[in-house]
Amino acid sequence: MAERTLTYAEAIQEALDQEMARDPAVCVMGEDIGVWGNLFGCTKGLLEKYGKGRVRDTPISEAALMGCGVGSAAAGMRPVVEIMYIDFISIAMDQIVNHAARWHQLSGGKVKVPLVVRTQGGVGFRNSSQHSQSLENWFVNVPGLVVVMPSTPYDVKGLLKAAIRDDNPVIFIEHKAVYRNKGPVPSEDYVIPLGVAEVKRKGTDLTIVANSWMVLHALAAAEELSREGISCEVVDPRTLYPLDEAVIAESVRKSGRCLVVNEAPAAGGWSGEVAAVVMERAFDKLKAPVRRLCGRRTGVPYDKDLERAVVPGVADVVREARALAGR
Amino acid sequence: MASRKSDLLKYYRKMLELRAVDNRLVPLKLKDLVMDGFHPYVGEEAVAVGVCSALRPEDYVISTHRPQGHALAKGASMRAIFSEMLGRVGGPSRGLGGPMQWVDADHRFFCGSIVGSGVSYATGFALSVQREGKGAIVVCFFGDGASNTGSFHEGMNLAAIWRLPVLYVCENNQYGEAMPVQEFVSAPKIAARGASYGIKGRTVDGMDVTKVAAAVAEAVPWLRRGNGPAFIETVTYRYRGHYLGDPENYRTKAEIEKWRKKDPIDRLRRQLVRTWNVSEQSLKTMEAEVEAEADQAQQASLGERKATLDEAVRNVLVPVAGREA
Repeated sequence: MAERTLTYAEAIQEALDQEMARDPAVCVMGEDIGVWGNLFGCTKGLLEKYGKGRVRDTPISEAALMGCGVGSAAAGMRPVVEIMYIDFISIAMDQIVNHAARWHQLSGGKVKVPLVVRTQGGVGFRNSSQHSQSLENWFVNVPGLVVVMPSTPYDVKGLLKAAIRDDNPVIFIEHKAVYRNKGPVPSEDYVIPLGVAEVKRKGTDLTIVANSWMVLHALAAAEELSREGISCEVVDPRTLYPLDEAVIAESVRKSGRCLVVNEAPAAGGWSGEVAAVVMERAFDKLKAPVRRLCGRRTGVPYDKDLERAVVPGVADVVREARALAGR
Repeated sequence: MASRKSDLLKYYRKMLELRAVDNRLVPLKLKDLVMDGFHPYVGEEAVAVGVCSALRPEDYVISTHRPQGHALAKGASMRAIFSEMLGRVGGPSRGLGGPMQWVDADHRFFCGSIVGSGVSYATGFALSVQREGKGAIVVCFFGDGASNTGSFHEGMNLAAIWRLPVLYVCENNQYGEAMPVQEFVSAPKIAARGASYGIKGRTVDGMDVTKVAAAVAEAVPWLRRGNGPAFIETVTYRYRGHYLGDPENYRTKAEIEKWRKKDPIDRLRRQLVRTWNVSEQSLKTMEAEVEAEADQAQQASLGERKATLDEAVRNVLVPVAGREA
């Protein structure tokens, strides 16, 4: 029987649908997630199936929307709050950072905040500098949050289901450039544990650690480089925090070379964290300094070519990997 | 009317407790055992006690950076408050929160030091109790200063359109830190801001516990029946500075004296004696009991240890997928 394929957006919809059917505490809230079914169709059909009580269109009011998610999670619901573009999350930061991330600890472990914040970032739609940012680094540095960035339809379904079942506030960052990508997604219920990396491609000469859309660039680059006789291993941590250090370290200890690819600017970011982990856990096996390939430290420009040019592309990964391999 | 009298005696005792705790926190602060984040509540007791008089254990209270009065009125013990203020393990947040942010899960009590935030997250608690459908409500306390924040306006609007059971209680204590309210709030009455979202509201004398309790007794059943949010602005005053050590160069001693004459505890005491024939002796006994209980609670808290470093960094995350968190 042919493997079933879904788009990344459809896989999200299926995960939400399955979790809402499984657990009546799960609800979704956000701007235009009900009648519209989200910009990319990620919540299509849920309003009809589960009703207005569990599928709530909210005003354009991110502080209240997030506050509603945070409070309802602490009071026993399992809300999935959608922030339409990650850029808008700035309005809701106080609710996430000062409250959601603090209450479990401040209650001595009694209060849990099983909130999922679904949002999407990155370039791809010529949305310019207030709708295209990669802001994951903000959240990785906040104690009390889990940060997930899935790259494939299969992963997004399993990780979203895990995020909904997890008792922590989870920042679940999708990528606007991959919603229409298709891939195998089994219809059954499956969960991918948070905090567990996956080796997306085996290789021996160097390790590429990438996240989100950059994983797809890394895989395309690895394919191209294989024709030149360079064998790349591609590691997708999938969860940025807590980071699966063991899988990264194991890969780099074997290959001796590491390239980190992240769409966000490098300074002060997760890409540096990965590099530091490699230094701490694989330094004695390194044959070359760790390299980072990151987004430029700039606002994202409007022009189609320019917006692509300020973030890593496949050709950039190929170039960096080749240089790292010493070819 | 017997129950009326016993209610008033309960309010009186609770207000005494609030004041006894605050009065002891001042010297503890001066000894550096409590930090600057302690915001005195003295003068505002009628608000906390009047509002919480209508609450049940299953109701949530969202408080502010000045939470001790609300917490006591919602049912926390004096010992718990002293312990949290002193950073001892007997506090609701095991002393890790301190004077202006803690979570008391057992009393459904949340507070924090970001002005205005509670108005937004109160909607979430309210959504949850609305869904349960058992008539529980959420009380959201905030100060005059919070009424200028985005969270305040966003939260009120959401509660109004979803008819969420939130009772908004504005403690208008005349100053946002050092700035007089009339200089920073454009509305003549803060309750008008609730009205602009279609939220029924009124302004009451926050120095009179019977007036606060009466307003709340009217609003709460209405909320429990699912009619949506309501707004009560209480006009009150904090006798001490915004924090202890506040230079208080923004107000006069005469002004403070004028408000002290409206003291909610003295006022109720006079009422009890004159209108309800409560004997001077029985009130003195009660006052002495509360003072003794407060002393005992303070001593007990001072005898507690502080959290260890290991304990202080626990519970940051619920363990994720079997990983060390």
